[in-house]
Amino acid sequence: MKLDSAPLDISGIFQAEIEPELKDSTDFNLTPAIALPVQSVVADSPQKQQSALSVFGTTFVTIFLAEIGDKTQLSTLLMSAESHSPWIVFVGSAAALITTSLLGVLLGSWIASRLSAKTVEKSAGVMLLLISLMLFWDIFTSH
Amino acid sequence: MDWHLLGLSFITVFLSELGDKSQLAAIALSGRCNSPRAVFFGAAGALLLTSLLGALAGGAVAELLPTRILKAIAAVGFAILAVRLLLFNNEPSADSEKTP
Repeated sequence: MKLDSAPLDISGIFQAEIEPELKDSTDFNLTPAIALPVQSVVADSPQKQQSALSVFGTTFVTIFLAEIGDKTQLSTLLMSAESHSPWIVFVGSAAALITTSLLGVLLGSWIASRLSAKTVEKSAGVMLLLISLMLFWDIFTSH
Repeated sequence: MDWHLLGLSFITVFLSELGDKSQLAAIALSGRCNSPRAVFFGAAGALLLTSLLGALAGGAVAELLPTRILKAIAAVGFAILAVRLLLFNNEPSADSEKTP
């Protein structure tokens, strides 16, 4: 009987003591060490531990695939085909693309600093969904 | 150095990219991640590669690559990213299980 109930009692005490201690300021030195690692593993790890490399890769691949055959590429093709110096066209368009990417990233970071994390995530999700729908629409209307 | 052509191509591409879906993607992706620099390099790199392919291959790009299929892959990819973000918002603890 005691063996069966002891673990439950211990876990009950463990949990009951954790919650009130978070509200107390006296034992504050002890509880963050116990509570925070659990929170960071659950809530932050999918997002913060997503390495810069995987972000780079995801961004690169998705934007690359989305831009193939896009109107920007087409206008670049037309200009380089009609001009006598396609490399100048490439340099000009490369500069413009870098500028617009920079503007996009700066704008995104600035907006993110003004809104709460949840709003940012929801807006980003909605925007990406819109882009996905725009791409599907592109596919079905262009051919 | 044909500055006129340089300026013309810059302006044309800039105006056509402003508010284009790749810029929207850059805005959306950089807002929520901790390394906007990675998003910038990924976006700029991808755009540079596509314009380089365009400059090199000319009109043959559309014929060599199955554009519709690539766009479909990209659309699905964006949709997956969007769904992850929207689901992650509602159930933070279950994200690792719901990620496809």
